[in-house]
Amino acid sequence: MKRRITFIQRVDASFDPQQAVLTASSLSVRDLDAAREDRITVGLHELPEELRAVLEQSHELHLRWASERSFDAVTPYSSRVSPGLHVNYTPLQSESSSEALCTLLRTIVAPSKDAQYKDCSKQEDSFITPPLLSTRFASSASLQYYTHLPSIRSLVKYIRDNVCSQSREDGPECHIRADALLSADSVDIDYDNISHALTMSGLWTSPPLGGWTDKFQTPASADDQIELGLLGAEAGLEPEEIKMGGLLAVVGQDKKLKPTMFSFPSRHQSLTEPSSYTVSFAPPTGLHPTMSISMPRSSLKRPPAPSDATCALHTYLTLPSTIFGDQYQLATTDPLFLESHNLVALRALAGEMDLEAPDWVVQRWGSNWLLELATPPEAEHAASTSDPSNWTATIPLHLRYLPPSETGHRTAHIPWPVVFWACTVEDNTKMGVNPFDRTNLGWDSLFGPRTLFYQLQPAGNRLVEEIDVPVLRLEGGDGYFQGKYIELGTCVAISLGFMWVLWRLARVAWSSGVGSKRAEAAHDKND
Amino acid sequence: MALFNSPARVFLAATALRLILLVYGGWQDANSAVKYTDIDYMVFTDAARYVAKGESPYARDTYRYTPLLAWMLLPTAWEGAAPWSTLTFAFGKALFALADVLAGWLVVQLLVRCYQFPVERALRYVAAVWLWNPMVANISTRGSSEGLLGVLVAALLWATLTKKPVLAGLILGLAVHFKIYPFIYGISILWWWDAERDGSAPASSDLLSKALGFITPSRVKFTVAALASFVALNFVMYIQYGQPFLHHTFLHHLTRIDHRHNFSPYSTLLYLSAAGGAETRFEALAFLPQLILVVVALPLVLAKKSLTTAMLAQTFTFVTFNKVCTSQYFLWYLILLPFYLPSSSLIRKPTLGVSAAILWVAGQALWLYQGYNLEFLGLSSFVPGLFLAGLFFFAVNVWILGIIVQDGGERAGEITVAPK
Repeated sequence: MKRRITFIQRVDASFDPQQAVLTASSLSVRDLDAAREDRITVGLHELPEELRAVLEQSHELHLRWASERSFDAVTPYSSRVSPGLHVNYTPLQSESSSEALCTLLRTIVAPSKDAQYKDCSKQEDSFITPPLLSTRFASSASLQYYTHLPSIRSLVKYIRDNVCSQSREDGPECHIRADALLSADSVDIDYDNISHALTMSGLWTSPPLGGWTDKFQTPASADDQIELGLLGAEAGLEPEEIKMGGLLAVVGQDKKLKPTMFSFPSRHQSLTEPSSYTVSFAPPTGLHPTMSISMPRSSLKRPPAPSDATCALHTYLTLPSTIFGDQYQLATTDPLFLESHNLVALRALAGEMDLEAPDWVVQRWGSNWLLELATPPEAEHAASTSDPSNWTATIPLHLRYLPPSETGHRTAHIPWPVVFWACTVEDNTKMGVNPFDRTNLGWDSLFGPRTLFYQLQPAGNRLVEEIDVPVLRLEGGDGYFQGKYIELGTCVAISLGFMWVLWRLARVAWSSGVGSKRAEAAHDKND
Repeated sequence: MALFNSPARVFLAATALRLILLVYGGWQDANSAVKYTDIDYMVFTDAARYVAKGESPYARDTYRYTPLLAWMLLPTAWEGAAPWSTLTFAFGKALFALADVLAGWLVVQLLVRCYQFPVERALRYVAAVWLWNPMVANISTRGSSEGLLGVLVAALLWATLTKKPVLAGLILGLAVHFKIYPFIYGISILWWWDAERDGSAPASSDLLSKALGFITPSRVKFTVAALASFVALNFVMYIQYGQPFLHHTFLHHLTRIDHRHNFSPYSTLLYLSAAGGAETRFEALAFLPQLILVVVALPLVLAKKSLTTAMLAQTFTFVTFNKVCTSQYFLWYLILLPFYLPSSSLIRKPTLGVSAAILWVAGQALWLYQGYNLEFLGLSSFVPGLFLAGLFFFAVNVWILGIIVQDGGERAGEITVAPK
């Protein structure tokens, strides 16, 4: 088992050498004002049987969870996913059908009863297949799953109950570390068949009240290692580079904290100026809500990418099955439609596209949409960066019919999409040598390998929108709104209508038969 | 009014109305993000583009029509520069609009030739109901294919009333291939087309010869021609496009859930039962009242008295008792109204006619208000709003149906003198 703890301090944060003390057997930090990432790498043999069985069937498995709370991006951890749990999975055998992964997911998701949750029974039924932008960039996983997940309490419980019990001496510490994940802003779990190792990382972008105070003991086993870094980050010499400097130590090996300075190319970059966006649905949402993504015009300056790079603003939507886009409407090339919504084009889509199916018929979790957004024209932009009005892109969406409920409404939870600049550079920058690299986010594989991403910051208390979906109102007990009244009412109305028409027909048949001969009475009258 | 003295003027005006709408539609499409063109037309033209590339029209999601439609619209797939592409794009709409005018012309011909209407009176009714009806012109110029059904039904009537059984059969087969529901007309026409109608002596009274007498040359020709064209078209399409053709044109209608709100009295029940909340499976029997009336009772009682009124009553019943009903379905019976209205009690008794019109519009308005609350305001108006509005609209339709049936029994809309 390897642990890597990284503290990232802002340039202006204070640091006193007394705050980090390294001894022969431990390293202590005190009141550290920093962002923190904990990364643990575990070999397959250290894992519980059930988890190992799933991983042994996997070519790669990547879980990405992000909190619904808003959090700041910290270089080099500036990439984002929509809040919730994202699973990117490639099975070892592409045809293999297994319930093991779904069983595991059910354990760590443990959905609340009322959630519009697509039960994952078999991955081929519940997962969607992300689009392959090009076979050249076959970097994305073959299957994808998402679920709304406000808290990872069940995952923490799973780690405490199953994973911690496997580790030998440090059981209590394992529990503490697992519990710490409850306050993390994002959690990643990665496995691939080449390294045969499971990596789990938690990211806290801001310290707890008073700063980080922690003590890291030399591991008891010689196989284990704890590496710690106290670092600061700044822009590198090249636009695609990040430069980091600070102190490093391997606890129990190093005598003192070693000063260090290094730089590396990074696909995820921070915007130098604060750039934010908000997401909303203008009321009334009805059955056809429109998602608005609003950005202050000052947020829309071209990122500091190399001057020969082509940059475009994108948004990547993760939509649960309750809500969907009309691929034909959104894929249009009609400039009037696109301009009226401040869209440029629909670049990629995957998942449940059925325009007619109600939610209970849809099997898979939902859909993903990559859209390129328009930006204000350059000329206007130069003149109006001080323009206080927002620049808003809108995406027309539609709700599926949901099952009846007692109140006549159900809530659809829609995570905020991520909004980012993607800048394609021409040179042969290798992004893989970045020790903080992060891939398999769903949207990154839709671009070429030489693309720089600059995230805009979601500005809101909660990064999930709730939409009230009108549904059929059905009450239990002795309320007025009961299914049987609808059944009875329809049955009676149709029967009466049917009898009425038959009765009129019978009267006609009695008075003048079914043939073409006129009845006597009618005959006389007509003559 | 002097206008109605001249068929040329009426048809020119109808054509001009459609031309103006076509040009206006092109303008609105080019200048507004809100399009004049119907979504369905985009489905047809997408499908035509697939066909032009040698692919199946069913490659386009929600293309649920015969491939004939995509074939007919092939010119819309022609690539070209700006003014040219606008013209090719509008080709299908122009075709639908032309079909409208042709349908109106056929109905005028029938009214004059078979119903002995003075030309002016025929023009007056057809213009009011069909040719100058802005709804009809709007639907076809927006690119909805329902107008094609109008011309097929008018042509079917024309071939029938002018005693061309083979042609009538061929048209019926085509119409059913196009949009299943016209099969109901086949039954009325078959029953109507007895030996007497063919000009031969009525069969004698014993049962055997009565049964044998049912089989007349016209009925045989009509049936064989209808089956032949229906089977041949489906065979060709199946060979060409296989299972997707069968699925999307026919089988889809058997398996669709139809849980979305619509004018049908069944719509709330279908939502309830599709979501698994119904205890009985009453809706599984929905075809019974609909088909008993449309296939058996209405043709049997009315067809021989007045073929067109029987067909109108069948269409009206089919739409009223259907599990799904949207506003395009109302177009289906509009083409038959000019035969019925002139001698109907709705015109003879203005109070009755006006009441029927007011109630029908009120039923629509009530439903649309509830639909607006749901669709745009997000209010949960399924019960009692949409449910009761749907039942009220059904009741109004059933009441009007009763009037049509009674009028049909009194031979409203019947041919007064056999054509030469």
